[in-house]
Amino acid sequence: MTAPINRPQEGTLLELRNLRTHFSTARGVVRAVDGVSFTLDRGKSLGIVGESGSGKTILARSIMGLLPKRGTIRHGEVLYAGQDLASLGLKGMRKFWGQEMSMIFQDPMTSLNPLMRIGHQISEPLRVHLDMDKVNARATALKLLQDVGIPEPEKRLDQYPHELSGGMRQRAMIAIALACGPTLLFADEPTTALDVTVQAQILDLIQDQRRDRNMSVILVTHDLGVVAGHTDEIAVMYAGTLAEKASTTELFANRKHPYTEALLRSIPRLDQPSHTRLLAIGGRPPDLITPPTGCRFAPRCPYAEDKCRAEIPELEAASADHSFACWHPVGSPRWQSKQDELVSTGVLSASGGIA
Amino acid sequence: MSDTVIEIPSRPNIITSLVRRIPPLRKWKFGLVLSVSYIVVLTFLAVFANVLPFVRRYNVLPKGAEARRLASYRGKPSSEYWFGNDKLGRDTFARSVYAAQKTLTIGLASIVAALVIGGLLGMLAGYYRGWYDRVLSVIFDVLLAFPAIVLALIVVGRFFQGGRLNLGVFEMDKRFFGVIVVLTLLSIAPLARIVRAQTLSLSQREYVLAARGLGASSWRILVREILPNLLPAMFSVAFTGLAVLLVAEGGLAFLGFSVQLPFPTWGFMINEARSDLTKGGGWAVFFPCVLLFLTVLAFNVIGDRVARRFDIREATL
Amino acid sequence: MAGTGKAHLHPEGDALLRVEDLLVEFPVGRTGLKVNAVTGISFDVLPGETLGLVGESGCGKSTTGKAIMQLPRPNGGSIAFGGQELTSLAGEGMRTLRTNIQMIFQDPISSLNPRRKVTNIVMEPLNIWGIGTPEERLKKVNEVLEAVGIDPERAASSRPYQFSGGQCQRISIARALVLDPKMIICDEPVSALDVSVQAQVLNLLEDLKAKFGLTLVFIAHDLAVVKNISDRVAVMYLGKMCEVAKSDDLYLRPAHPYTQVLLNSIPVPDPKVRPTGNQRVQGEIPSPVMPPSGCRFRTRCPIAQDRCAAEEPQLQALGDDHYVACHFPLRTAN
Repeated sequence: MTAPINRPQEGTLLELRNLRTHFSTARGVVRAVDGVSFTLDRGKSLGIVGESGSGKTILARSIMGLLPKRGTIRHGEVLYAGQDLASLGLKGMRKFWGQEMSMIFQDPMTSLNPLMRIGHQISEPLRVHLDMDKVNARATALKLLQDVGIPEPEKRLDQYPHELSGGMRQRAMIAIALACGPTLLFADEPTTALDVTVQAQILDLIQDQRRDRNMSVILVTHDLGVVAGHTDEIAVMYAGTLAEKASTTELFANRKHPYTEALLRSIPRLDQPSHTRLLAIGGRPPDLITPPTGCRFAPRCPYAEDKCRAEIPELEAASADHSFACWHPVGSPRWQSKQDELVSTGVLSASGGIA
Repeated sequence: MSDTVIEIPSRPNIITSLVRRIPPLRKWKFGLVLSVSYIVVLTFLAVFANVLPFVRRYNVLPKGAEARRLASYRGKPSSEYWFGNDKLGRDTFARSVYAAQKTLTIGLASIVAALVIGGLLGMLAGYYRGWYDRVLSVIFDVLLAFPAIVLALIVVGRFFQGGRLNLGVFEMDKRFFGVIVVLTLLSIAPLARIVRAQTLSLSQREYVLAARGLGASSWRILVREILPNLLPAMFSVAFTGLAVLLVAEGGLAFLGFSVQLPFPTWGFMINEARSDLTKGGGWAVFFPCVLLFLTVLAFNVIGDRVARRFDIREATL
Repeated sequence: MAGTGKAHLHPEGDALLRVEDLLVEFPVGRTGLKVNAVTGISFDVLPGETLGLVGESGCGKSTTGKAIMQLPRPNGGSIAFGGQELTSLAGEGMRTLRTNIQMIFQDPISSLNPRRKVTNIVMEPLNIWGIGTPEERLKKVNEVLEAVGIDPERAASSRPYQFSGGQCQRISIARALVLDPKMIICDEPVSALDVSVQAQVLNLLEDLKAKFGLTLVFIAHDLAVVKNISDRVAVMYLGKMCEVAKSDDLYLRPAHPYTQVLLNSIPVPDPKVRPTGNQRVQGEIPSPVMPPSGCRFRTRCPIAQDRCAAEEPQLQALGDDHYVACHFPLRTAN
C-alpha cells in the first residue's frame, strides 16, 4: 500500500463494472443492486440519490465489502485505484478499511460505542492502522476534533457519546472516519437524523474536509436538495439500477430520465407559491425479487410504451458528463407528444412547469 | 467476472430486515415436528391415563412369586415392564404415565393461573403507571426475593397439609392444590414483570394514542389494542414457563414438599427411588428423568418457535 | 424571539380553534426538573384554513398538536374549539370533542394496530361511538377507504403490514375521516415517506380538505412541505412562537432571524442556488430544561444584543396578517 503522501492527486479512483449484489432469501433472490457501472475521480464527490429500497445503501456497502457473508452474492468488479476489491477476502479488505475508505452512518448514536470515551474511539484506529503511540494518537485525535469543528475539543476527548448533542456526535463520527486519512469517504444519509440547521453545518463540514484532504466522497441520500449543493456528480438510482448519471449542474439543467424528472416535480419547493399542485409519481417501486422486465420504471412512467416494458435500456453516454438509461428520454418525440397531452389536459402549464 | 462471497459481520439492520421477512420455518422444522408429536402423545396418555388398561396397574402390588421376582427393583426393563419396576414391584411405565397426568396438571394449572393473575397485574401496572405501578412493583420484588423453599414450606406445610379440599364443584387433594398455589405464586412476579415491560412499550405506540384520541375507554384500549399484541409474547413465555415449572415441581418433590401418594409426579418418583440408586433403583430414577427432560425440551422448542413465529409479524412491519 | 403575546389572534368569534397561553411541561425523571416543552404560545385557526406549525425538534410543535387533543391535558392556558373551552371538559363533553378533532401521526405503521384487519381499524371509531348499524358502519368505512384510494376489499382481508408506508398513511387518514371531524391535526404526516409518495399524500390531503370542508393543523419540520400545504405558517422555536404569517409572505419576506436561518438551511434542489456559509446559524438548539433568558433564540442569533437577554420580545404586527416576536426584526411594519 502506498503511503498517503505518494498518492496521486488526479485520475480515476473508483470504477464499478456491472456490479450486482443479490441476497438469497426464502421468497427468492432479492436483486438489490443489479448491474451498476460508474467511475469516480480522485477528489470528486458523487451523490447517490434514490428512494428507500432503491439499493443505494446496499451499493455503498457492496463497494466497501461491508455486507454479511451469508446469503449475499456479489458479481462484477469494483476497481479501486486499479485493484479489484471484489476478489479480496476479509483479510485483504481490512487493509483498505479506515485507511483507504471509511464510512459515516445515518445515526451517530448507534454507530458510536456508548461505553467508550470519544477520544479513545478516535485514537483506536490510529493506533491499530498507523501504529501510533498513545500520546501521539491522542494529539492527533485532538487535532481531528478541532478539524471537525467541535468546541472545547480537549474536554470532549474524555466524554462519552451520550454527553454530546446530535450534531456533535455526527462530527465525532466524521472525525473517526477521517482519522486514518482515507482517500474515499462514504456518507450514508449522514444528516437524516439531524435538524435542518445542523444538517447544513454537517454537509458544509464534509465539503470542507473533502477539499482540504483531496478525498473522494460518495454521499448517499434520498434528498435531491442535499446533493444539489454538495456534490460534483449525481447518480440517480431506481430499483437497483442507475437511471441517470451526470454532473450536478447538467443533471438539474438538462435531466433526461423520466424518473429524475418525476422526482424533481414531486418535491415541494420554497420558491413555488403555496398550494402548488405536486406531480406525484403514481404507484410504488417494484418488488426486487420479481422486477419488471424491460425498464424498471416503465410501470410508473407516463411515457412508457411496449418497448419500454420489453427491453432493458442500457446506461448510455449522451455527452461526456451525462449518461442515462431510457428509450424515450426527456426531449424525445414521444416525451414531447405526451407532454403536449398533459399541457392540453391542464396537468402541466405551457412553460413545462406544473400548472 | 468473479463470484465473490463477502465475509464480514456488519451492522445488520438492512440485511436482517430483508432476511427476516421470510418465515424461518425451514430451520428447526424437524425438531418442532418431533416436539409437537411428543407433546401430543404425552397429552393423550395423560388425559386418558384413568381409562387406559395398561395404566391401571400403576398402583397394583404384585403378589406371590411375581412379587418376589419383581420387588426391590429386580424387574429390569422388559417387553412386559417397559420401564422396569419400582421397589415394591409396581410397573414404572404405568406409574410414569399416571404421574404425567399429575405433573402436567400441576404445571398447566399453575402457568395458566399465573398468566391470568400476573398478566392482569402486569398490564394494569404498565398501563396506569403511577402509584399503582409502584405498589405492584414492590409486591413483585418481595415475591421474587422470597426464598422459594420457605414459601413452599409455609404454603404446603402449613396451609395445605393432607386431607381433601372441597371447592364446591370439584374436590381434590389438599396437598396437590397447595403445590399449584406455590408454583403459581412463584411465577406471578416474573410473568407480571415481562407483561408490564411489554405493556409499557406498547402503550407508547401511536395506535394506542390514536385510540385515546378517538375517545376509546382505557378498558377498551387494554382489551382491543394492547392485549392482542401481548398475547404472542405471553404464549411463548407460557411454554418456556411451563417447562420451568415442571422442573420446579421436581425440585419441590425432591425436597419432599410436593404431592403425596397416591398421586405420584415424576419428581416424586425420582425422589422416591433416588436413595436406592446403588441398590438397583437406577431405572426407576432414569425413566422419569428422561420424561421430564424430554418434556421440558419439547416445551422449550415449541415456546421458542411460537415466539419467533409471532416475531416475524413484527419484523415485517 | 420567544414570543409571547396575542397581537396576532383574530377576533374571538372568527376562529374555529383558539389557543391562548398554552403551557405544557414534562417532569425529567424524578429529578424535580421539568422540560418546558411549550411555554405560553397562542395561535388560532380559521374555519377552512390550513395552519402550518414548523420548527426543529424540541420546538414543541408536536406537543402543541397533542395538547389540542388533550393528550395529555396541558398544564395551563386555554384551548377553545368553536367557542367551547376544551381544557375544562370532562365526560360527555370530552367525548363529543373527540369526534370533532382527529389526529394523524408521523409513523404510519406504528399508528395502526398490527394485529387487526384494516377495515376493523377504520371502523373502530364508529364502534366506539356506537354509530349506525353494522351494515351502515361498513358502508361508511368503505366510502372513506375509497376516498383515500384504498381498495375496500383488500382492506377487509389484510393487516397493516401488508400495505406500504404511503398506503398505511392513507388508512390513518381514513380512520381520522370516518367520524366526519371538523378539524384534523396532522403531526408530521409525510416525514416518514419517500418523496414520490409524500407528494401523493399531500395532494390527497388537499383534495380531502376541499371535499369534506376540513380545517387542518399541519405540523412538520420541513418548511417547504409546510409552505406548500398551508395558508398561514407559525414558526416555533424552543416552546415559543417566533413568527406567524401567510405562507408566501413568510418565504418572501421573513422578519424573524430564525425564520431566515431556517430558510437558508433548507437544501434547495437546484445547484444554481449555492449555499453560503455565512448565512448559517452556529450551534444547536439549547436544552428545553433550562432555556435561555429573554429571547430563546438569542444564543444562536446572528444579530442578538443585550436587550435580547433581558427582555422577552412580544409578537408585534407588521401588517397583512404578519406577526413577529423579535426586538430587531429583519423588516419593519409597512
